[in-house]
Amino acid sequence: MSPENGSVHSGRLLAVTILAGILALGFGFGFLVLPRNQGTPGLASASDSIYQALGLHTHNNSFNTVQPPAKIPSYVAWTEATMQQAMGGDAKRGESIAGNCTGCHVEPAHTAESGMPRLAGLDRLVTYKQLDDYRSGTRLSDTMSAVAQSLTPKQYADLAAYFASQKGLPENRGERAPGSHRSYHNADPVQRLIYAGDPKRGIAACASCHGPGGYLIGAPALINQDALYLEQQLLAFAQGTRSNDINMSMRTIAGLLTPAEMKALASIYAKGFDGSK
Amino acid sequence: MERSRLLSLAHLWAAFLCFLPAAFLGMWQLMMRSPLRVPLDDPNAYYASLTAHGSIMAYVFPTLFIMGFGYAITVSTLGRSLRGESWAWMGFFFCVVGGVMALVPIGFGRSSVLYTFYPPLVGSVWYYLGVALVIIGSYFWVALMLINFSAWKSDNPGKPVPLAMFAISACALLWGWTALGATCEVVFQILPVSLGLRHTIDAGLARTLFSVTLHAIVYFWLIPAYIAFYTLMPQAAGGRLYSDTMGRITFVLFLVFSIPVGMHHLFMDPEHGSGFKFVHSVLTFIVALPTLLTVFTIVASLEIAGRVRGGKGLLGWIRTLPWGEPMVLAVGLSLLLLAPGGFGGLINMSYGMNAMIHNTSWVTAHFHLIFGGAVVIMYFAIAYELWPRLNARPLVSKRAACLQLWLWFWGMLIMTLPWHAAGLMGQPRRYAIFDYSDPAVAKMASLDITSVVGGLILLFSVLVFFYVLFRSTFARPEESVSPIRYALAVNPSATVHPLLNGFVFWNVLLLALTLISYGYPIGQFFFLHNQDAPARSLSQEVLR
Repeated sequence: MSPENGSVHSGRLLAVTILAGILALGFGFGFLVLPRNQGTPGLASASDSIYQALGLHTHNNSFNTVQPPAKIPSYVAWTEATMQQAMGGDAKRGESIAGNCTGCHVEPAHTAESGMPRLAGLDRLVTYKQLDDYRSGTRLSDTMSAVAQSLTPKQYADLAAYFASQKGLPENRGERAPGSHRSYHNADPVQRLIYAGDPKRGIAACASCHGPGGYLIGAPALINQDALYLEQQLLAFAQGTRSNDINMSMRTIAGLLTPAEMKALASIYAKGFDGSK
Repeated sequence: MERSRLLSLAHLWAAFLCFLPAAFLGMWQLMMRSPLRVPLDDPNAYYASLTAHGSIMAYVFPTLFIMGFGYAITVSTLGRSLRGESWAWMGFFFCVVGGVMALVPIGFGRSSVLYTFYPPLVGSVWYYLGVALVIIGSYFWVALMLINFSAWKSDNPGKPVPLAMFAISACALLWGWTALGATCEVVFQILPVSLGLRHTIDAGLARTLFSVTLHAIVYFWLIPAYIAFYTLMPQAAGGRLYSDTMGRITFVLFLVFSIPVGMHHLFMDPEHGSGFKFVHSVLTFIVALPTLLTVFTIVASLEIAGRVRGGKGLLGWIRTLPWGEPMVLAVGLSLLLLAPGGFGGLINMSYGMNAMIHNTSWVTAHFHLIFGGAVVIMYFAIAYELWPRLNARPLVSKRAACLQLWLWFWGMLIMTLPWHAAGLMGQPRRYAIFDYSDPAVAKMASLDITSVVGGLILLFSVLVFFYVLFRSTFARPEESVSPIRYALAVNPSATVHPLLNGFVFWNVLLLALTLISYGYPIGQFFFLHNQDAPARSLSQEVLR
């Protein structure tokens, strides 16, 4: 072996040895020493400790207290399969089913305040989820439950595609076009609620989920929606008679609003408020 | 040689021209978060602006700058023309087109996903394709750096590769490896959703893949600054580099250790257990070593220069250093910024203490101080060093350049120190607007306004920088152009340890270490399918 090869060889050996030492330290403490010395119960053996450190927890201790039955707000989970189905409807087929809807959900021009939600332009995922919630009974309405139970999820998607293709509620384009006066500096308390919320009371801004701009998946656009309907829904959420909001977001927020605020919010949205005024 | 000057110049101009609007956006964002009134006070505008500011400052600006600097180093250290110059122009073209392609949809509010992409947020396809083009463009550069490096080595067997070339090649390799994380995330996860082919995204996997890039990118930005520390500053100060070997060890350590540390960005994430987080925490401490080595070597080199210039006594050498030289001044100021920045970094990388500052303004303040401060101040100094060489015109003027560096230094401190404090008080990051009528928030108002003052100083500094660049570009041409001169080591040796003259072994080590530290954390997602979050592309529905 030449002297140069020798020095390369010993250099490599040195680097690998130091690295192995560092790794032994990191893995030894991270996987064996620390998990067992942090008071986590039930780590009897080294393999338990490693399992814990990998994040694969085992809950050996069964609960012996009586748990209240889980209250499920909705059976719709946004999995790949559900999303594919909800987004993949056929508007043509939906149109023929929608003939049954227009008895109640008439064109907005004829009804200033009907208490009926306007469906034209409604986001696909919103329509799909609400129909499924009516079917499962997590959202209550005699009429709508009967309607939803007579349809298949495939038909929900078709209806959703049809309503989404209609002009009415603003299209959810995912755009965050900037405007002005959409902060705490806005003097109007209702507009402030919409764009900035009221953190002192723990109220999130309506716009952060309902747009314009960002839309939470499954959250409807509110602009141009029927005022009476909006107000009734806020009241229903506040009183808990409507409870199909996942994670209780709307029940929490509505419960913090005053009746006057609900009315004002419903009316400003129904008037086509888009924040630019 | 003449054409390669144009190549470097094009990259640097493109980098600084996108830096300018991004600086203004940053200023507006600072004001937006403060109690002051600003036009377009809308969270939507804030998030669009944040995406643009971050995408430019983190991807487009440093990448173009480093590419340009890399070409200049290649030509000047190896003393021959660049191989594959037309490919370099191709890479430049990709970066510029990609940058524009990414910025346009942000401007329309179609890609307010923040510059870290944050699935399940999904923006316009064009934004991601634009970022991908920037990365592809930079890969041309990576390939060219390595081709030129190995071609010179095989033409000069046994000779040490010049330190600056060695370092920029380490930088290229580092970027080549680390960019794969974000590239995989964009290509295999985000683009399918953005194109409407899929409706859910594994957010845990996406965040983990991004973390492969997220921390090492910082060292990609940092290495050019360190190249200036080691090879340009001692020369500008009239001294010599304390140790060439120390430099090589530093750059090799950066290459090996910068990738397997990325999970310290995920300490609070639920998708990983504590074991690998701890391993990454330990490895992150190791990556502090090259910085400590550098601080030691550079201060020693400064001392050598100071003593050569007649400095006496324990600290007398500091006074005799040529602080009117932009390069020397920038290094001094950069080291001063590196101290609080590094200290903050130690807190961030500590598994326990991280919980205290997680997702607060502290983190934003930290990376502005260390990247915007310690690193970008060196980019300015490098520009001042290169400009006369690339333009064949003198720098007009050194006084204005030094004023600009001082303004940047003070502006950065005044902006980031109160910002850190607000973070410690619990101010969250990524928030567009704060309710200052809330007593808990009102306490931070004076800190936020102080930051705005710092921001204004920084903006003024940017304007002075452009003033110097323009004046120097249109100055009277010089007869003879002095080449870039690199510092000699105190004891320059004709040979160097073979392991410190190439990267093959270090690449193997890096890959092994990455596999050990990221193998399970990434692999687990292929058998634990519990992180899928709904995500939808709205741009596709509009196209339909």
